[in-house]
Formats: sequence, structure tokens, C-alpha cells
Amino acid sequence: MFHLLSFVQWLNDTRISVYLRESDWPFPIIETIHILGLGFSVGTVMWVDLRLLGLAMREAPVTDVIEQLEPWAIGGFAVMFVSGSLLILSEPLKCYNTVAFRIKVVLLILAALNVLYFHKKVMHNVDEWDQNMPWRAKLVGVLSLVLWLGVVIAGRWTAYF
Amino acid sequence: MTFGRILPSWFFWQCENTLPGSWFKHAQWFFAIDETFHIMALGMLIGTLLIVDLRLLGFGMRRQSVPELAKYLGPWTLLGVASMIITGVPLFMSEAVKLSRSTPFFYKMIFLTCAVTLHFTLHRKATASSARQGSGMGKLAACLSLICWLGVALAGRAIAFL
Repeated sequence: MFHLLSFVQWLNDTRISVYLRESDWPFPIIETIHILGLGFSVGTVMWVDLRLLGLAMREAPVTDVIEQLEPWAIGGFAVMFVSGSLLILSEPLKCYNTVAFRIKVVLLILAALNVLYFHKKVMHNVDEWDQNMPWRAKLVGVLSLVLWLGVVIAGRWTAYF
Repeated sequence: MTFGRILPSWFFWQCENTLPGSWFKHAQWFFAIDETFHIMALGMLIGTLLIVDLRLLGFGMRRQSVPELAKYLGPWTLLGVASMIITGVPLFMSEAVKLSRSTPFFYKMIFLTCAVTLHFTLHRKATASSARQGSGMGKLAACLSLICWLGVALAGRAIAFL
């Protein structure tokens, strides 16, 4: 059977992990890139969410906001995902043992499911949303804001524990 | 360069060791919680700046005009800057003496001063409804704005590492 802890321990002892952990510069540089990626992805996702809730950019059509900001959100997420994987690789055991990090992983999975639900089940009649925003779209907006906020908080707190 | 070389050391000591700074310094979890709010405000601020600056450069939300986007997001930018400062001042006070010796903190404040000044001058002109679309001035304002705010974020991050 696959045993997560022994995998994490093996990962922790690989040369690349030891290198990332023990040298001075890789961690701060990767972490900085991770936060810039955060700016792009969360910074754009949250405006889509606020538009869904009718709180910002109300005069702009919903489809305009979603279509034009989504590529930036996805690009930012890709940067975060790659840099985040390297950050995990630099201290696998610490991440495994940190409660804040475990919460972060759960929140990320929930955020992904939220996006999937939005695209598969909610977005089909997006052209009509400027007249009448369905409650499901608003729910997705609220969930996305709360989940990403949670990801940021749990991510920051991973460093404190 | 550091602020400790410009301002007298008692200033930093007083910030950290008299109320409310001493409370910020000693209250358990205060720093971690306030820092979390600081980063949340950063997320919001960067989003509004990116959307407007990318548009000035001809990327992102091109179906909307620059003045439109600036009108939608301008109030949020100010809210973001205000939240950053309100959460940032206690962070400073809780470790003023350390920051008086920090080079990244000095540059962060320089970038911040430039960024805010730029926002209310050239940037405001470039996003006004009377501004010509796609002008060189708009692109210059966007580049300078991105550089200054990026400088604030990078120098801010470096405070913890250097």
C-alpha cells in the first residue's frame, strides 16, 4: 500500500530537497515568485468574484470580465503551482507535519472543485447574467473569495508553525 | 541606506516601547494576524493596479476603456492602499528598532512614496476620461506604476530575509 509518510520522508532526503533547504538563496527567490504569482491569480480571480456578486465593475458585462481576466488568473495559478511545488520540495516533512499546510491543501482542493462546478454546471447561460444573476453564480463567487482567502491565510501561517 | 542613519534612535525606541507600539510588540499572535490582513490587502491592491496598468499597456480587459476601468477600480485601489497603511503601521511599530537598521525597509518606503505620488499625478492624468487612448504617456505611467509597486512588494518581502 502507498504510505504517504514514507514517501514524504524519502522526498525529504532527496538531493534536490536537501539542496533547496540548505542553500541561502533558492527559498527566498522561489517564495518571492510564489507571491508574485499570487498577485496575478488571486488579484484577478477576486475581481471576477466581486463582479459575480455585483460589488465591483457592475457596468462591465459579466462575460467581458470573466473572459478577459481568466487567462491572467490561470497564468498566475500556473506560476504559483510550479513555485509552490518547489517550496514543498524544499521542506516536505515540515509541510507534512504542519496543520496550517494540511488545511491549505484541503482548501485548494475545494477551490478547484468550486471552479469545476462553475464551468460545468453554472456557466451555461452566462449570456443572460447581465439581466439576472443566478444565485448559484453568486454562491460560487462567495465560495471562491472565502476559499482563496483561506488559502492565503493558511499559506502564510504555514511559515509560523 | 537605512532610516536609522537619518532619524534619531530614540524615535524608533519610543515607537516600539510606548503604547500602542509596546502592545503590538508583546501581544501574542498580533504580528501574525496583522501580517495576514496586510497580505490580504496586498492581494486586493495588486489586482486593481494590475487590471488598470495592463489595460494602459494594451493587455487584459481590452473591451473596456482605460477611464472606465479606472472609474470602476479607483475606489478599490484607494481602499487597498488605506488598508495596507492601516495594517502596516502597527507592523512597523512592533519592530521599529529592527526596521531602523533594515536596508530593504528603507527602499520599500522610497518605492511606496514614489508609487503613491505617481498614482495621484501622472497615473491619474493617464486614466482620466480626457486622456488620449493608447498614448505614450499612458504606457509610461503604467510601466512606472508596475515597477514602483513591484518594488514595494519585493522590498517588503526582502525585509524578512535580509
